[in-house]
Amino acid sequence: MKFNSETLADLFYRGGSIVLFILLWQLGCSSGFLPMTFVASPLSIVETLWQYLKDGSLYKHASVSVLRAFYGFILAALVAVPLGFMLGGWFKNFERVFNPLLVFLGQFNPFALFSVFLLLFGIGEFSKVAMIFWVAIWPILLNATLGVKSVEPNLIKLARSMGMGKIGLLLKIVIPSSSAFLFSGLRMAAGTAFFMLIPAEMMGASRGLGWLIINAQINYQIPKLYAGTTIIVLFGLLIDKLFRIFEKGLVNWKEAQVI
Amino acid sequence: MREIELTGESFGADPNRSLTLPKANKLPAKEIKGFRDRIMSWYGIIAFLLLWQMAPYLGLADGRFIPPLSTVLADAFKLVANGQIFIHAATSCQRVLLGLLAAIVVAIPSAVVLAGWFPRFTKFMSPLLALLGNINPFALFPLFILLFGVGELAKFAIIFWSSLFPILNTTIGGVQNIDPILLKTARSMGASKGVIFQKVVLPGALPSIFTGLRMGATTAFLFLIAAEMLSASAGMGWLIHNSSMNNYIPRIYVGVVGIALLGMLMSLLLNKLENFFLDFKEEVKLD
Repeated sequence: MKFNSETLADLFYRGGSIVLFILLWQLGCSSGFLPMTFVASPLSIVETLWQYLKDGSLYKHASVSVLRAFYGFILAALVAVPLGFMLGGWFKNFERVFNPLLVFLGQFNPFALFSVFLLLFGIGEFSKVAMIFWVAIWPILLNATLGVKSVEPNLIKLARSMGMGKIGLLLKIVIPSSSAFLFSGLRMAAGTAFFMLIPAEMMGASRGLGWLIINAQINYQIPKLYAGTTIIVLFGLLIDKLFRIFEKGLVNWKEAQVI
Repeated sequence: MREIELTGESFGADPNRSLTLPKANKLPAKEIKGFRDRIMSWYGIIAFLLLWQMAPYLGLADGRFIPPLSTVLADAFKLVANGQIFIHAATSCQRVLLGLLAAIVVAIPSAVVLAGWFPRFTKFMSPLLALLGNINPFALFPLFILLFGVGELAKFAIIFWSSLFPILNTTIGGVQNIDPILLKTARSMGASKGVIFQKVVLPGALPSIFTGLRMGATTAFLFLIAAEMLSASAGMGWLIHNSSMNNYIPRIYVGVVGIALLGMLMSLLLNKLENFFLDFKEEVKLD
């Protein structure tokens, strides 16, 4: 990699604000401006993380959590993507019948359903996956529907006037134009899946990142609490980044914009 | 040739006749269609509710864990009759609205100003904003309690914080994702910055702003329940928490459905607002 002024500027834009934020945070902690009793300093968080990494507990907890989030997310995507496409424009009547119900169900609060899932599925693995599934399904559904609805009408009229069939319309027009929405929906859902790890693992888990945080919270180990949160945030960002890379590779027809 | 003459003749001869005739035929059919449409949007919900009522009797679900709808409704009616549900609903609504309004007032103007006027600063700040938006408010609960106590202020802070970032980040994205052709067209026609902002940027970003609002409202409701489960003496979240602690299962469902209805009311209001503001977008029809 050539290290010229351009990559430097890029680096500055990418990480500058975060570095500044962490520096201010550390400064606030070590100067005593932020009370140590409930704000852990970045250094102590790194120290805790290093400890976790060394004794292998990080791998143990992360692997369990990632798998849970993955199962929930995959299940949600398998259900929501086809459903969203159908709702978005294929079957208008289908949408009319199901949309109100889905809007209604979408408002069912996962924390409120927490008790219900516990009753139905017990405290095993399935109830945690069910909770993650429940929160991951809505962003995908919403965005898939929105994506199909936001397809430029002229493109559809043009394709149809040239005698394109329904399958061709789906493959050549609808999927490419709605892919940006679809990907942002999947990205959001993956983020939410990680997000819900904490409440999902509150229901009687003995391992996992969410459990780590809950345990630290109950035992009032503030640096551990922050360390657990940091890992989840990092995983969330990593997933986000992966999705963005995919998105860039697949949704490459859109022109970049300069304001 | 004769046909053209004929249509021309009838068109010129009596314009009123050709106008009134189809109108008289169309009206009842249109009315029936409208009625059918309205009924149609209820089919799904009615089917779901029927299934809920029948499931315990048909052996599809355990009646102790999923009580039939009638049991839940009976309990809901009891709560309505003694007025308790209104206290809980009003308390929850007040909390959500306060937090959400504060988040809107802070997020939308700052996002539009940031993305519209300071694109470089926004580019600099956006990783940090994304990072902060990614921090789980759940993990910050102990922090909020330590900072603000267990009173109303902590709940307000949780709801504000959790709904702030969806609105902020989506609005920034909306302003950044405005079709460049529109901007170029406006600029090439000599529109000033103010006009571009008013006529292109704001309408162009409105769909995203509404998406952000919807996300923010959803998150606000999400964390309202979490916040009320934490420490409260009233509110829908407290209702669920309390019934779940006392193993009073029908009331859990009353709370769940009640929150869903409140959330639906909120999204209905947002839809009305969106339709009011976004009347320039054409609907897509695929079939």
